[in-house]
Amino acid sequence: MAEPYLRVENLVKRFGPFTALGGVDLEVFPGEVHCLLGDNGAGKSTLIKTLAGVHQPTEGKIYIEGKPVTFRSPRDASAAGIGTVYQDLALNPLMSVTRNFFMGRELTGPLGSLRMNEMNQIAHDEMLKIGIDFSDPTQAVGTMSGGQRQTLAIARAIYFGAKVLILDEPTSALGQRQQMGVLKTVKRVRARGDIAIIFITHNEIHSRLVGDRYTFLALGKSIGAGTAAEIGDKEMRRLMSGGAEMGDLKAELDAI
Amino acid sequence: MADLNEANRLQQETALQKLLRRPEIGSFVVMIIIIVALAIASDGKAFNPLGLKNNIAIIAQYGIIATGAAVLMIAGEFDLSIGSMIGFAGMSMAMMLKWGLPFGLGEATPAAAFFITLAMTLGIGWVIGMIVVRSGLSSFIVTLAFLFFLRGVTEVCFRLINQSTQISGLQDFKLESWFADIMGGEVFGWFYDFWFALGGNLNRNGEQWVHGFDARFFWWIVIVCVAYFVLSRTQIGNWIYATGDNKEAARANGVPVDKVKVGLFMFTAFCATMFAACQVYDTNTSDAAKGNLMELFAIAIAVVGGTLMTGGFGSVLGVVFGAITVGLVANAVFFIPAIDGAWFRVFLGGILLAAVFANERIRKRITGGI
Ligand SMILES: Nc1ncnc2c1ncn2[C@@H]1O[C@H](COP(=O)(O)OP(=O)(O)OP(=O)(O)O)[C@@H](O)[C@H]1O
Ligand SMILES: [Mg+2]
Repeated sequence: MAEPYLRVENLVKRFGPFTALGGVDLEVFPGEVHCLLGDNGAGKSTLIKTLAGVHQPTEGKIYIEGKPVTFRSPRDASAAGIGTVYQDLALNPLMSVTRNFFMGRELTGPLGSLRMNEMNQIAHDEMLKIGIDFSDPTQAVGTMSGGQRQTLAIARAIYFGAKVLILDEPTSALGQRQQMGVLKTVKRVRARGDIAIIFITHNEIHSRLVGDRYTFLALGKSIGAGTAAEIGDKEMRRLMSGGAEMGDLKAELDAI
Repeated sequence: MADLNEANRLQQETALQKLLRRPEIGSFVVMIIIIVALAIASDGKAFNPLGLKNNIAIIAQYGIIATGAAVLMIAGEFDLSIGSMIGFAGMSMAMMLKWGLPFGLGEATPAAAFFITLAMTLGIGWVIGMIVVRSGLSSFIVTLAFLFFLRGVTEVCFRLINQSTQISGLQDFKLESWFADIMGGEVFGWFYDFWFALGGNLNRNGEQWVHGFDARFFWWIVIVCVAYFVLSRTQIGNWIYATGDNKEAARANGVPVDKVKVGLFMFTAFCATMFAACQVYDTNTSDAAKGNLMELFAIAIAVVGGTLMTGGFGSVLGVVFGAITVGLVANAVFFIPAIDGAWFRVFLGGILLAAVFANERIRKRITGGI
């Protein structure tokens, strides 16, 4: 079996007295989509923010290609090939597509001046590659649709050398058609074969459609993991709701 | 259906439509109206050689600090200490010129007085910035504290060392120091020479009347050009916009937002120091009340120029138009003696309110209404 590109061992993250992550393990492989599933507040966003260098882990280790790493800032993480598309997308609505695409990693010429034409061209081409043709890269991001913003954020992460692409609920705020657009984008990225994808969602169907491997979180702990073949539909539903039996949930609902 | 894509949903705009959508357009139109109205009401006096010089003097003063305030506002912060910083810097320079360098290190040259003062004001700007980014407190309250603090320090220093809150009657340093001359002397003499050569610019005796603009005109142009270039054409400019628009997004993408903010608090301190230096070396005086209320004018002009209060958006060019508009109206009373000078503040309040509404509309249009 291939070596995981990214491995997380016993990751603990506390915010003061509050334990957001209580020892989580995770392995992601290139060319695979690893779905991270769990209830609201389970700690999914906290886990990926730690991987992205936004939070420093309280305990535990992160390995990239077998070597232990520490990320002091998002810059460190992105230099190590971790590209994150946040739930809130980390976009600036008042700024243009191009300026957002290159935010923090601008192409510069003499005196720190921007190579604007080149940047416009790249932003346009990269977004076209994963599925949207954006005619005017000087348009403000605030006027783009949710799916387009998602594509912009994904294209940006890939262009800047992401080996692990982390998508935090990329489909949650979108309409049906745009959800499918994002799933197609995920499939296209997966088909490249060299990028590992961590995909967070609350949607069982979406995770079935694109997932190769699953990890289930509940209250900051991993309560189950396995490949698509290993996890049956019923098991999946049980784990997604934090380990409770569907039957129990139904009984609870009926009692009201 | 097949050829329906995003590209052809965007309507092509004509050059004129694009021009009308620029954020500076509002302040530009107001400026033109004011220029024309003032020219008519003052019977041309506002733009005769001396009128032009005097108008530009005050416009440049406003413009220097408004540029600093605007760039800081684009990064999402305010600086209410600008006016007190002007007072402090003016005091510091005049004091060194009169009483010599600190610690009895001898006489102060104009350049030494300026650079020692600049080192102090940049240091204070740095401290303000660090307090804001480290504490996460609103810059409004932190800089309000420095408004009082610096004004108080200025007065106390004046009384302790100088026994009076004014310094006047310093020698005219411009005559022997080139440094004092580039700060407080005259510039662009060729403009008035040319005007004279064309047969205008004559005084009552038929000699050349005005010989140049105040040096602060030059410094305003320099500051505006640098700010414009940095903001619209450089990486740091992109960082400034990103910091003010959505700080967390900028940080997540590796923009050093704290450094950007601290740097810009130092920039407003620099602008305040230039304001003070031009004043001190021009008039060879200083007093503890200098720069009073200037922070509010700076912010008002930045807003009139199209800068968003919430950060992330604004244009240096708009601020230039704003400074011209406000400067001309502030000076109007000298050219139209019939009007009461207090109308200036009535006018400023009016256009400020109008500008805030106009800016809000622009913001909504760009963000698609959120
Ligand atoms: N910076 C923080 N300080 C304190 N507590 C935090 C912080 N960030 C997250 N938490 C807490 O950690 C827990 C996990 O949050 P997290 O955002 O990781 O959940 P999630 O699994 O992403 O949920 P959702 O599905 O709603 O996005 C929550 O209880 C949250 O309140
Ligand atoms: Mg989350």
